[in-house]
Amino acid sequence: MPIEKLIPLLAEGVRDTLYMTTVSTLFAYLLGLPLAIVLVLTAPGGLRPMVMLYRALDAVVNVLRSIPFLILMILVIPLTRLIAGRAYGSTATIVPLVIAAAPYVARMIESSLLEVDPGVIEAAQSMGASIPTLIFKVLIPEAKTSLIVGATISTGTILGYSAMSGAIGGGGLGQIAISYGYNRYQTDVLLVTVVLLIILMQVIQVLGMYISRKTDKRIRE
Amino acid sequence: MALIELKHLTKTFRGKTQTVEALRDINLAINQGEIYGIIGMSGAGKSTLVRCINFLERPTEGHVVIDGKDLSALSPKELRQLRQQVSMIFQHFNLLAQRDVRGNIAFAMEIAGMKRAQIDRRIDELLDIVGLKERQHNYPSQLSGGQKQRVAIARALATNPKIILCDEATSALDPQTTASILNLLREINRKMGITIVIITHEMSVVESICTHVAIIDEGTLAECGTVEAVFSQPRTEAAKKLIFRGAGAGSVLMGRRMVRIVFDGETFNEPIIAELVMQCHVPVNIFYADTRDVGGKVFGQMILQLPEDRLQQEKVLYYLQNRNLHLEEVDANAH
Repeated sequence: MPIEKLIPLLAEGVRDTLYMTTVSTLFAYLLGLPLAIVLVLTAPGGLRPMVMLYRALDAVVNVLRSIPFLILMILVIPLTRLIAGRAYGSTATIVPLVIAAAPYVARMIESSLLEVDPGVIEAAQSMGASIPTLIFKVLIPEAKTSLIVGATISTGTILGYSAMSGAIGGGGLGQIAISYGYNRYQTDVLLVTVVLLIILMQVIQVLGMYISRKTDKRIRE
Repeated sequence: MALIELKHLTKTFRGKTQTVEALRDINLAINQGEIYGIIGMSGAGKSTLVRCINFLERPTEGHVVIDGKDLSALSPKELRQLRQQVSMIFQHFNLLAQRDVRGNIAFAMEIAGMKRAQIDRRIDELLDIVGLKERQHNYPSQLSGGQKQRVAIARALATNPKIILCDEATSALDPQTTASILNLLREINRKMGITIVIITHEMSVVESICTHVAIIDEGTLAECGTVEAVFSQPRTEAAKKLIFRGAGAGSVLMGRRMVRIVFDGETFNEPIIAELVMQCHVPVNIFYADTRDVGGKVFGQMILQLPEDRLQQEKVLYYLQNRNLHLEEVDANAH
């Protein structure tokens, strides 16, 4: 493929991939964060144990996490049509991406919050902290470093899912790789998209780790 | 009326396979201004007891009355407000790792809903009290254990509490730091009239700062009263076990081996035997002594009977040799 055609194609691909990844990650966190908080609070031995609710949410998360992403995409096509108006393209792909990523994100956040020293939570309770105070002034700030690491890993995973979505009508670099590299045997295009995906993943990883280290006050300077 | 009253306090933990009765029918009254030590072996139920005082643990039965308020009758909100009057410090300090010293002290006041300017002013006062002004912008990871406990104490004082509960607050600290933290607590008690409840397994903590003591043994209150009364005349086995622990008076068999210490004026008048017993944790029997003090120098001799145990004998001899004393073994039958 001539370079003057390839560059705008790839630029569009990168833009679409970043669009799907960032918007999906954002929505996945909007759903996953409250879900994780409810899981942590209602778990047996949590701050507000509610065993039935916990078991129900825990099961939903497990079920959603068990379905391979490509199959989930097909399963939710009716819902995708309902929300996005159509079942193909970058915007439509955000729907299954969020459904797949939210439970994943919830588990990542849950494990970060559970790492917070129970002694610190007890100390806050002894000062008369309410549940919202415990969540927003103790659990989340104390888990900050771990949450940022989790967000980095989650964003990377969502980037990978978004590329996979190219197989059945998603947009972005994944779609370019499949339609040019696989369907039309243009190996050069395939290789370039792979290199671009690797670079994107690297940028996310390095940036995420840098921020988490920079903001961690537990490290002695 | 007592500031803290525990009435028929019982706490039972129900597990899947077994039920543990952590506390059984505890009755205790703590008055305003007292420094009350609660001591017991590990696993005796001390930590559960102190957590019942601020309802971090809800007692299974019985009542906790603080300043005339029965805690079991309070709403969750009233209970949270009451906790601002009953601060707590911990063995492992439990500071927020992601906040600096000022931020940690501020936390208690944020919970109490104080205004930012008011909080900042109060932090400055508290930093003066605990002596951490130059550390105010450090994070817990940059502080020593003693400094962390000072931050915790400042945080505990922030809301002007009536009571401070200390859960093994000095158990993670070395002896010097322990002494300085206990001094700080004593000062707080004297100057501000704050009642302090100290949970500890260390006798020395109770001896050095407490006015009153309660001895907890296997979930029950064995004995309580002023420190002098309980320590000078312990009535129960549990109390005796704690108070005479390690000394083993009467239980150590004295051996036949004896040693003569000759004082030839080279040694000064120091309490050698007392130091020997305290440092070696070995009892010796003064079999015979004839010493005179001449101008601050000691002349004469003393014969010590050593314990049966070979290792303990060696400890004593090694200690005495290192004090540069003239020693000679004595045949017990010769006397």
